[in-house]
Amino acid sequence: MKKTKEATLANGQSRTDKIIGFITAHKIWFIILAIAAAILLPVIVTSSYYRAIFIKTLIYALLASSLNAINGYSGQFNIGHAGFYCIGAYTYAIIATRWGVNFFVMLPVAGIAAGLAGYIISLPTLRLKGMYLAMVTMGAGEVIRLIAISWRSVTKGNNGISAIPAPSIFGYKLSSLLNYYYIILVLLIIMLFLTYRVINSRIGRAWMSIREDQNASAFLGVEIKRYKSNNFVYGAFWAGIAGCFAAAFFQYIQPELFNFTRSTEILSMVILGGQGTLVGPLLGAFTVSFLTEVLRFSDQFRLIIYAILIILMMWFRPQGLVGAKHSVLAKRLEIKKHKTPAEKKVTR
Amino acid sequence: MYIVEQLINGLCQGGIYALIAIGFTLVFGITGLVTFCYGEIVMMGAYGSYFVFQWVGLNVPLAMLGAFLFSAFIGFFVYKICYERFLAVPHQISLLCTIGMSTLLTNLAQLVFGLETKSMPMLMAGMNIQIGEIRITYLQILIIGVVVLLCLFLSWFLNKTRIGAALRSVKQDRVATELLGIDSSRVMMIGNCIGSALGGIAGILYCISYMSISPTLGTSVGRIGFSAAVLGGLVNIPWAAAGGVIIGILENLSIIWIPASFRSGIAYVFLIIVLIFLPQGIASRKKRTKL
Repeated sequence: MKKTKEATLANGQSRTDKIIGFITAHKIWFIILAIAAAILLPVIVTSSYYRAIFIKTLIYALLASSLNAINGYSGQFNIGHAGFYCIGAYTYAIIATRWGVNFFVMLPVAGIAAGLAGYIISLPTLRLKGMYLAMVTMGAGEVIRLIAISWRSVTKGNNGISAIPAPSIFGYKLSSLLNYYYIILVLLIIMLFLTYRVINSRIGRAWMSIREDQNASAFLGVEIKRYKSNNFVYGAFWAGIAGCFAAAFFQYIQPELFNFTRSTEILSMVILGGQGTLVGPLLGAFTVSFLTEVLRFSDQFRLIIYAILIILMMWFRPQGLVGAKHSVLAKRLEIKKHKTPAEKKVTR
Repeated sequence: MYIVEQLINGLCQGGIYALIAIGFTLVFGITGLVTFCYGEIVMMGAYGSYFVFQWVGLNVPLAMLGAFLFSAFIGFFVYKICYERFLAVPHQISLLCTIGMSTLLTNLAQLVFGLETKSMPMLMAGMNIQIGEIRITYLQILIIGVVVLLCLFLSWFLNKTRIGAALRSVKQDRVATELLGIDSSRVMMIGNCIGSALGGIAGILYCISYMSISPTLGTSVGRIGFSAAVLGGLVNIPWAAAGGVIIGILENLSIIWIPASFRSGIAYVFLIIVLIFLPQGIASRKKRTKL
């Protein structure tokens, strides 16, 4: 098999690795810088068009990070993430339009609703791996969308729910773009901080051990079922929160917003950025959103370019833009880089 | 009588699904890599036949040949991009690659063939056989006939021909096959093309029976094919075909009891039930590895 230089990072550091090394060495400063830049960004850019784009980007960043918590850390393969997003959005939309419950009360409720769905879906999928799991999650996402289409008395079917109330606090309506921007930014930072804490705790280490080798971690006493399940719930929870915010921001939702293309989009962000890293999905979301804006003139070219990007990424850098060298995907490529399929099978 | 008619419709549709599942199983069995863009290959095959209908006229055998060749060509293309490099690395990589490929093919089709749903020519309109109160259209007979013929052809091909034997041996053990002097890469490519071509034929049958064709039909068709193939554990062809027929019948009978908009969820429900109770499929439980 032909191998390119990019794919084999075994001997010597490549330039990207050096850059990544520099950033990790000065991590705290980069984080402070990034947060400061994120806070200042909408103050500098006053155009409401761009502010709306920033908000959408942050929603995507939240979604991609939550998917990354599932795909990147426990190695489960969820490709129906839009389903959880859908549940969060509909939970807020239905309850807020009917009973006018406050947005900030609904945030955790929407998250829990999506988490519950994640738990239910995780039950039959605990034994599954790879493709089977992927198809079941895809199916679950589609079934959720079908329910949203068909349960007309509650979800208003394909017409969608409109006039979803904006968030408000103590009677003060937070409906300007600036407010939305800071709400989602705070949510994203909380999410990233919590995820950082979780993956550096016992739970996160259990997830990663499952990702690396399920049998070995079961042998060492990790409760596979429990950790896989709560990993799914965690990812779904944040997708639900993203959905809740998105419903409040767009003020109109309909089932088509949550179709399989959306799931693919979120997945491509995670893959482009790099699974199993906190920065990766953010970078992926920013890249994809940037591309979306650049390619706004044609919606179809946009998806074609995403697709080509995914394929190229798999060819040359399967661990993603910032994917670490110790990523499962990269490591296996290295080990087997000089071996043909036949040799691989013999050595195994 | 309504139920019997739905049963016949289901059988007919199930035959198409069975063909898709067989193709899917063939591709998986030979390359060992699961594909996500199989539905898109089916869609491409259907477009191949659509253009034959457009340019040549109502010539069904020629249209099928068109579908066969076009989807085999796409299958070759997919093999080169998504499988060949990734035979030795984690399966996730090629899986993601095929997801990208499926998006690429769908959107290329939208770009090249147009976004809108096009209508397929109506074949043998109004011709049917009446048995008592049950009506069977010629089209249904044609579809079932083609499916059965193709299954027989495939069985002959896999069991009696030289290349079929090579395919089966690659499926069983790639290394041993290579030691015997068979170019496993070439054999895999041929198997993949044939699997894709079967999907293409299924695509034209699907589109003829619905009398419409659109670039987005790949997603639904692909997941039905996968759900059906799971019954055979993704390796056993007869059980995959059975899965296809079961899904077809269930979809058509379900209309009687539940709203039609839930119909496309049937395949998922079937998939989840099969995965809960027979996660390895029926076939491998009995340790049968015959392709």
